[in-house]
Amino acid sequence: MLRRMIFNDIKSNKLITVSTAVFMAVTAMLLGLSVFLFATLFSSIDSLMTKAETPHFLQMHTGELDEDELYTFTVGRPEVEEMQLCTFLNLENGQIKIGDISFDNNMQDNGLCCQSVLFDYLLDAGDNIIRVSPGDVYVPVAYKNEYGISVGDKMFIGTEELNVAGFMRDSQMNSMMASSKRFLVSEYDYERLKPLGSEEYIIEFRFRDESDAGAFSTAYTDAGLPENGPTITYPLIKLMNTLSDGIMIIVILLVAFVVLYISVMCIRYIILTQLEKDRRETGMMKAIGISRKDIRRLYMSKYLLLSVTGCIAGTALACVLAIPLGRNMRELYGEADNAVLVYAAMIAGAVLAEAVILLSVRRVLRKTEKISAVAALCGRGGTGRKKNLWIPVAVIITVSVFMMMVPDSMKKTLSDPGFVRYMGIGNSQIRIDVRQTKDIGSSTDDLAVRMENDIRVSKYSVMRTGSYKAYLPDGSSYNLTIENGDHSIFPVNYMEGTYPVNENEIAFSILNSEETGLGVGDTVTVTKTNADGKTEPVTCVICGIYSDITNGGKTAKGYIKDETPSIWSVMYVSLENGVTPDIWISEYSSGSEESIKIAEISEYVNGMYGQTISKIGNASVMTKAVACAVILVVILLLMRLVIWRERGESSLKKALGLTASDIRADYLKKLGVYLLAGLVLGILSGMLIGQRFAGGLLSFMGAKGLEFTIDPISTFIVVPVLMILTVFAAAFVSLKEIKKIKAFECLNTRE
Amino acid sequence: MNTLLKVTDIKKDNILKGISFDIAEGEMIAVMGPSGSGKSTLLYNVSGMDQASSGEVWLGDTEIAGLNEDDKAQLRLHRMGFVFQMMNMLSNLNIIDNIAFPAVHSDKKNRKEYYERARSLMDKLNIGELAGRNIKEVSGGELQRACICRSMIMKPEIIFADEPTGALNQTATTEVMDAFLEINREGTTIMMVTHDSKVASMCERILYLLDGEIKGELVLGKYTEEETRERELRTSDWLESMGW
Repeated sequence: MLRRMIFNDIKSNKLITVSTAVFMAVTAMLLGLSVFLFATLFSSIDSLMTKAETPHFLQMHTGELDEDELYTFTVGRPEVEEMQLCTFLNLENGQIKIGDISFDNNMQDNGLCCQSVLFDYLLDAGDNIIRVSPGDVYVPVAYKNEYGISVGDKMFIGTEELNVAGFMRDSQMNSMMASSKRFLVSEYDYERLKPLGSEEYIIEFRFRDESDAGAFSTAYTDAGLPENGPTITYPLIKLMNTLSDGIMIIVILLVAFVVLYISVMCIRYIILTQLEKDRRETGMMKAIGISRKDIRRLYMSKYLLLSVTGCIAGTALACVLAIPLGRNMRELYGEADNAVLVYAAMIAGAVLAEAVILLSVRRVLRKTEKISAVAALCGRGGTGRKKNLWIPVAVIITVSVFMMMVPDSMKKTLSDPGFVRYMGIGNSQIRIDVRQTKDIGSSTDDLAVRMENDIRVSKYSVMRTGSYKAYLPDGSSYNLTIENGDHSIFPVNYMEGTYPVNENEIAFSILNSEETGLGVGDTVTVTKTNADGKTEPVTCVICGIYSDITNGGKTAKGYIKDETPSIWSVMYVSLENGVTPDIWISEYSSGSEESIKIAEISEYVNGMYGQTISKIGNASVMTKAVACAVILVVILLLMRLVIWRERGESSLKKALGLTASDIRADYLKKLGVYLLAGLVLGILSGMLIGQRFAGGLLSFMGAKGLEFTIDPISTFIVVPVLMILTVFAAAFVSLKEIKKIKAFECLNTRE
Repeated sequence: MNTLLKVTDIKKDNILKGISFDIAEGEMIAVMGPSGSGKSTLLYNVSGMDQASSGEVWLGDTEIAGLNEDDKAQLRLHRMGFVFQMMNMLSNLNIIDNIAFPAVHSDKKNRKEYYERARSLMDKLNIGELAGRNIKEVSGGELQRACICRSMIMKPEIIFADEPTGALNQTATTEVMDAFLEINREGTTIMMVTHDSKVASMCERILYLLDGEIKGELVLGKYTEEETRERELRTSDWLESMGW
């Protein structure tokens, strides 16, 4: 009987039932998919990092190195399980070519390496440790799709040729957000090609307990060991790996929560309207002695059936979508270690979505139980005050606009030229990196002189980065990577305070400030090296805190003029109006050493965030599609409910002489008002709350205090037009029902 | 005869002002009175659908007013039957499913037996051929007879009927009253609220309610078809004397 009741109910309320099931399925699909992608991402990364035995601490170093000193230090450190010294042959990108594709515009530090001996293994597609034959090369998997490289292609380094034997997963440098990429060659080829590049060391450590990195890092610095290059730890590698795909998943998760909210709200209104319609029936059931619990069970059974159907359909859909959306992850990090657990997590996500919906159904049903049988039979009481169904229309438009705006604005923010200021980079036109050369200082000086005399340069700044031993107020020592120069020319974004203008001032990156616990006004003693080679302590007041996502985010900006050797230097350049950057860059590139990289800032950002931006772009398209589909169904549904509820009134209007078109026009006017309200509120909330949301996401990437850049075309044209078209398309379909309402219906009292 | 329903001094807001009466087992009683006199309120309060402000209502040895909502629901399900003017039935079930609904709902194990009982009740009230019909496919009189079948499905001790013929034409009214008389003859007690003096005249006793108080009582005795005209005349004379 119950089955028949539900079946007949579904048959007589097809649109409402199908919409409810669709909402349930879409919610289950989105939540299941986000959980699945998160679980796959974390599980795959964990699996890769475990199989590859990723180092817990690594120090890049350019220059001379005393191996014995390193081994002696390692023996004395009980936390170190294993240590190895790897080399990386840094190549000039202009020299690299695979097939017809030149790496000239590639912004990564590309180089060759050999397979590691003890740990930090480079793995193939099956997660096996690769053994390379002479003449072969394994290409970072991140380049596979970016450049459309295939096995068997030829790789050229200058005039030397290698055969692409496969692709490799590098647990350290897999992500495009890691700034270097290793190509794996045999030891024979490495030695053969050595003269074509500059060698760099990667000093790698694995600990017995991964959490020992902090204390170890201080001890390493205090021991005065080689540290001419960035320091990277296991959590940072993990973060880099997680971020580029993680952001896309967070956007899907945002959509999932918004759709869940919309589903709960729509289903609530569906139930309330249904109960209003069934008031006499429920009153009768109460009167003949069916308990409140049993009446609730009757309604719950229907929603349980719908939610089980929705859950199954949603999970199936999530499985289908997970294949293309997870492809990049699988290629980069391999299959998840525990596929069963990952799928279980997906099902749990879908079930959770349904559980939330069913709980809300139960809550609504409980609220209506208070009405007595008599009140229901006599048409008194009802399900509380009749809800205004136009308000959810406005609310759902608001959240959909918000949902559409966030990924677009995130994309715009990341692509905006001003964003570099949050990356700890000056907002100039061109960036010149001087690294891995024998004499960074004199190369930088030469360039500076050239620019000083170049009338096409409107302004430039030179930043020399050195590694300084510093002492914190509590007496502990701390290794500071300080970028010295005139920071007023291309200032970065300071969350607090401002840039240093003299030797006694220093600005800290957020991560440095958080790690040392020092803020603006605190002092730190930095040891500088004078021309005579003697060291001298300088007390610096922290004058500013800025956001930085370069070099692991732990940097400082100073104005120290001393002889501390530069680890690297960076020059920021802006050209006079009318000067074409491309020509200027190619001219300077051709006249400079190979290790000097000159690029437009936009290319630099694109190299780092290009993939992330493109993924957010994909998520943005998906968000728009989901939002439009949701709005279409919601408006169809709510309009149907409004028309049903006001059927008597519409019938009376017809009886009084109004035409169906008059009544339709009234509805459209009303809808227009609520649509406008929803659009305005959506845009405002996108600008206000969306900024916080996107800011939160980007601060996760290291860029704090961010100002959200609104995409004006998307916000004020694309999104409103999409909304208006969808809403009115749905309204026109729903309003066809008006024609079916007869003028005599208002006179008919039998229910 | 034993008293089945004993109502003592029940009051409800300003609608019922201390009403007392008894109904004997197997009796068929009508409550009449002008609109707003409190007839339906009285029926709702004595059947436990509504809670009186004061007073006692005993159904056999059970005091209804003191029960909680769930116990009242159980009492209505197992010991009472209801028939309403608007012929409320579940629109998603056909006629026989609607009739069997309360019984099957309370005891799923004996489903088959309840459906058999539903069929036999339908046959008795001459609507046997309507079993599989949708509720929108039958006439008002047929639907109300189906409602009477539903009220009988649990073999209740008493049936409460609120204006059961109020929305019916003359033919349908006769069919429905025949059904009530049939089940009353088999021993089911009936308390009916009605506006129709002809319907009331078929009952054994009529209570006249005015402004929340019982103003008079007319005892007519068990109905026989031969006395129809005489009972109608007696009833209308009495009602006239009551100011109807």
